[in-house]
Amino acid sequence: MYLDRCKRRLKSSSAVNPAVISPQDPTLLIGSSLVATCTVSPDFPLRAEDLYWTLNGRRLPAASYTALGPSTLSVALARLNGSRQQSGDNLVCHSRDGGILAGSCLYVGRTTEKPVNISCWSKNMKDLTCKWAPGTEGETFLHTNYTLKYKRRWYGQDNTCHEYHTAGTYSCHIPEDLALFTPYEIWVEASNRLGVAVSDVVMLDILDVVTTDPPSDVHVSRVGDLEDQLSVRWSSPPALKDFLFQAKYQIQYRVEDSSEWKVVDDVGNQTSCRLAGLRPGTVYFVQVRCNPFSIYGSKKAGIWSDWSNPTAASTPRSERVAGGCDPKGGEQNTTLRRELKQFFGWVKKHAYGCSNLGIKLYDQWRVWLQKSHKTRNQVGKEPFALLLPGWAGPGGAAG
Amino acid sequence: MAAADSPSAALRRRDLCSRGIRLAGKMRVDVIDLLDAYVERQGLDVSSLDSSVAAVEGVPLAAVERWDEQTGTQRLLENLAAYRAFRALLAQMLEEQREQLGEADAGLGRALASVLLQVSAFTYHLEELLRLESRGEGEEEEDRPAPPPRLSIFEQKLRGLGVLRELAQWAVRSARDLRQLSKPSPATGTAAGLAESP
Repeated sequence: MYLDRCKRRLKSSSAVNPAVISPQDPTLLIGSSLVATCTVSPDFPLRAEDLYWTLNGRRLPAASYTALGPSTLSVALARLNGSRQQSGDNLVCHSRDGGILAGSCLYVGRTTEKPVNISCWSKNMKDLTCKWAPGTEGETFLHTNYTLKYKRRWYGQDNTCHEYHTAGTYSCHIPEDLALFTPYEIWVEASNRLGVAVSDVVMLDILDVVTTDPPSDVHVSRVGDLEDQLSVRWSSPPALKDFLFQAKYQIQYRVEDSSEWKVVDDVGNQTSCRLAGLRPGTVYFVQVRCNPFSIYGSKKAGIWSDWSNPTAASTPRSERVAGGCDPKGGEQNTTLRRELKQFFGWVKKHAYGCSNLGIKLYDQWRVWLQKSHKTRNQVGKEPFALLLPGWAGPGGAAG
Repeated sequence: MAAADSPSAALRRRDLCSRGIRLAGKMRVDVIDLLDAYVERQGLDVSSLDSSVAAVEGVPLAAVERWDEQTGTQRLLENLAAYRAFRALLAQMLEEQREQLGEADAGLGRALASVLLQVSAFTYHLEELLRLESRGEGEEEEDRPAPPPRLSIFEQKLRGLGVLRELAQWAVRSARDLRQLSKPSPATGTAAGLAESP
């Protein structure tokens, strides 16, 4: 049986191949045509009419066959589609009993396009990571290999990046320190079986693409007993302490049961901030991020770090809503009027002649008000205090 | 043989066998999963290939005649030879996979690497069992065979299929071999298979 001979061939590599397909493992453009031939070895008593073809397991119609000799059968494939799998379509020559005599893998696709949108960032000036997008025309049906290359402009030699997929599918990480104060040229080469496409060269100075670690020591605490405020403090990025740079920060916060963050983006270069207008008796998650810019006078905008891990804290419970009942609008107005009246009375008594009448003074009055309520009502413990990991308890200094 | 007779050695053997059985079971499950993924990614039509990949050069066959009559040492030596061969074959498959597809099919590559690791661990396990037997056979790995000739891509696909199919069969056979080895001998209280080894 021919099949057994085929098996024997696989067992013994020195044995003669039962048949040979030509071309072997060709690469073709989508839409092209191919004529493949299967020639049976003279050692095997098989004739062309004993053979048939399959492509990816499907038998090809006999109408596409031509006997080119007593033991050679060709098949014509027209307008080829892109390969079904990147490992190649399987074109197989069979004997009549289904045995495999020979196989050839067809790689049908299109040329790769030049990669686009290259962007890079350096974490603390210690490394460089770049990512890019493949071309825009869609799938090439062939495995594409990407190589990121870089060199110092003018006098450097080409270097190749080796750590791929570190920040997504199309990314590469250069772990070593790169030279500062010199521009780099960076580009990506995309290659597949049909050729190579090279991206445009991106020019950058490491100082212009620096980002840093998110602030790691974010503290969130209450502002005395003010039920609508929290104080946030953090440190500037230690990894950049030896470098001349400016930093700006952003804060985002959300209530525990919501996924919607509110962003405070006017923090500037301060390392503390007070969040106001919060809901009383509510747990808030707070994150901070840093943008180091103007490193050694760089004129670029800088790159934001990741957000810090969320830090949780709760605002003090409001006594007005302590019963779980939300006051109606009219009641709120009455309360506000009453509070304002109290406030002005308090200003007259405690801050008479003080020209610095601002929100800080209002906060002091709120603290005073809370204390006087507390003395009257002896408010119990905050329920969140015992529940929250990372909870910043009361006692945080008023800003 | 002395080591095999001592109670602590018997205990150690039983422990090695039961852990080996668990390893073989896990390996079988993973190889079956890998086989499904492999067939899909290589575009192989299994039904039409069934007979053609029944035997592939260098792939040790799990099929055995007169299995009941095998001695413990025989079982261990045959297992060891098989898994050493699988280790080399899988390493080659992994290399070919990386050569052709790079990181494009990282999932398949990872699964292949994981099975290779399990085969290596199982090989070590078998070596431990043989060492316990104090027979020395199989402890030293023979010289590595010359690398097989370069195959066409389609032949590589077929060989990969053959390797994984046969490895799945071996995992079943190995679990049964080890179960057999861990049975206490009625005469000596040690493993039956080993005790009757020539």
